[in-house]
Amino acid sequence: MSDHFSGPRALSEPAADITDVYAFPAPDSPDHLVLVLDVFGKSGPSAVFSDAVIYRFRIRPVEIAAMGPDAAFAPSQNEFTFDCTFDVPSGRTDSGRPLQQGRCLTPNKRTISFRTDDENGGADGSVQVFAGQRSDPFFLDVRMIEKTAATRKLAFKPKGSDTLYGTNILAIVLKFEWRKVLEGGPLFAVVCETLAAGKRPVRIERVGRPEIKNVTLSWKQFDQINRDLEIRDLYNSEDAFDLKPDYFDVYRARMNANLAFHDGLDGKIDWPFDQHGDHPLTKLLLADFLVVDASKPFAEATYFEIERSMLERRTHVTPGGRWLNQDFMDFLYTLYVNGGNGPPINDGVDAPIAWSSKAFPYLAPPNPAKASAA
Amino acid sequence: MIALSEISIPAVCPALGPPALTDGAIAVLNLGAQIDGLEGHGTSAEAATLIDLLILRGLTLGRISDYERAAQLADRLVHDAAADAAAYMARARTRAVFHRFSEALDDLDHADRISPQDTPAKQERAAILQALGRYDEAMATYEDVADRGGQFEQAGALAGLWADRGETDTAQRLYLEGLRTYRGVSPFPLALLDFQLGTMWMRHDRLDQARTCFDAAIRRVPAYAAAQGHLAEVEADLGEPEAAIARLYPLAASSDDPDYAAQLARILGEMGRNNEASGWCLLAANRYDELTAAHPEAFADHAAEFWLGVGNDTPKGLRFAEFNLRVRKTPRAYDLLARALDAKTAEATAARCFGGQ
Repeated sequence: MSDHFSGPRALSEPAADITDVYAFPAPDSPDHLVLVLDVFGKSGPSAVFSDAVIYRFRIRPVEIAAMGPDAAFAPSQNEFTFDCTFDVPSGRTDSGRPLQQGRCLTPNKRTISFRTDDENGGADGSVQVFAGQRSDPFFLDVRMIEKTAATRKLAFKPKGSDTLYGTNILAIVLKFEWRKVLEGGPLFAVVCETLAAGKRPVRIERVGRPEIKNVTLSWKQFDQINRDLEIRDLYNSEDAFDLKPDYFDVYRARMNANLAFHDGLDGKIDWPFDQHGDHPLTKLLLADFLVVDASKPFAEATYFEIERSMLERRTHVTPGGRWLNQDFMDFLYTLYVNGGNGPPINDGVDAPIAWSSKAFPYLAPPNPAKASAA
Repeated sequence: MIALSEISIPAVCPALGPPALTDGAIAVLNLGAQIDGLEGHGTSAEAATLIDLLILRGLTLGRISDYERAAQLADRLVHDAAADAAAYMARARTRAVFHRFSEALDDLDHADRISPQDTPAKQERAAILQALGRYDEAMATYEDVADRGGQFEQAGALAGLWADRGETDTAQRLYLEGLRTYRGVSPFPLALLDFQLGTMWMRHDRLDQARTCFDAAIRRVPAYAAAQGHLAEVEADLGEPEAAIARLYPLAASSDDPDYAAQLARILGEMGRNNEASGWCLLAANRYDELTAAHPEAFADHAAEFWLGVGNDTPKGLRFAEFNLRVRKTPRAYDLLARALDAKTAEATAARCFGGQ
């Protein structure tokens, strides 16, 4: 749930509030790519998808445009989308949850129908779709993250408290043979969006990389230029593949400030700013899409490996992307604070309440109500 | 209660506009899912969100128990996070819901000392000033944050303020602007706006317009109890008591808010169905007694209306009307007291007449 509560406007429709996006080669089938979109963090048992929202997966082939300090991606203009929509609930599932019919419009304009919470989902040739409530695969200690920002000192305890322990999300899982469904590759950039349905769908939120809007952009106090500005709704409204120049410097300044704050948490500078006055990660992170190499075999802790290899002028060896249960906060704080030049930083939370499966639909079944209170 | 009904609105209710909105049944399911998911754990920010969600559910489903739960949580939040401005903001909201306006303003002062110039806190303060009838101060406070709030929120708030002041044209224009600028998919904000508009027209005896607006609110959120209740009242006044009764029965039977039982009793009584009316009247009377004992500021006005009407206890109605005026000196509070005094005079006259015979 790395992107939960990531902008005031998203709060008004919880079923449009994206919590996380994942992209990984299928552990159970090397020819398939899996994309996961989670919404509605901490959802109770009655949670359902909105019938007024389009849940969109956007995928573009991407090239590595530059290596070294100027590392950058060059996404293609060629785009493939999966759009999922849902009906008003009718009846109940076997578990007593509201039952919804859903549809997924694939890039080749075929429509796959499915019922929510059905673990087999819907399928059409090379595409399989699941949608329903599952256990949130993310884990972190939010209180200590907030304390770290408030005290300007790493506040993690050896044994932390998982803020998401026992909580559920609504997930949409796509599994497809990428060579049949997409063109180009094997490197793909993935962004997920929620849009208000209608003749001219309006973007409500977008997510590519984890913890960009929350940990990396939300803190205002370190930003000397726009200290009072809540930029996340603005950021959400932008096209991830085509950031408008109008506000780019606003995002850049906020990200530079917050990355510099994190870099200083261990009392030394591991990420000196470049000649343009930017943190070395700013440009890569503002390319806010998950990059996954669909040709590489599945692996678990692979987020940002492609980007790291680009910065270090070497060829990546993993699929990159993002697996469901990577210990992301440990990775993120280690990356931001010491760039891997120091000891790994542990946030004290090392596992979710339930590990994800290596078989479709991958995410663990939903936790029983009140498991979190225990 | 400080329901948006008290922040009234404007004239003609336009047809449902083009924005796609989440179905009202889904919205209510998901509101419950949010509340269930946030209960029992979380950060102070999530606790503040939970309090807001409980207030929203209390407002739309007519559940006083949700307001009471929100108030409990807010007290605990201030206890646990005394240095957090958001905690005082949350408690100010719950106190305003129960018409404890001066305490709510104290909380906002406290929040302001911790986090000055906070836009939501100023908006909250403006709403309370408006509820107190201090319209000029409310307007100045709204204008102070005009550039920092969302267009929809600003238009909706000002529409209510101008409606309270009786400036229906201005309120109507702002209402339409609110509809035009809404960018969300949740149906709640628009349903609340429709409801404000309907309430204003109801107060101006423009019953057809009121019906249109309450209908719109109910189409967006069918379970919107206050809109159903007000629509029933309008239907009864338009000579459709059977429709009103059918609408009120489920609300009166299920809600812990006695307003629906009181309305049902009144309409049944007017139809001469006195046996049925007396049962609902008794139910409402007992519940008003409980609520005015627990939350006197919040229910004084509604209790006064009840006792002056179908409750048939003018002295009790007068006491609550006087108390209500001490809580807030709004035009409606003065009107209510005037009605109570008239009723008392009428009773005294009648007593003299009977005494003279």
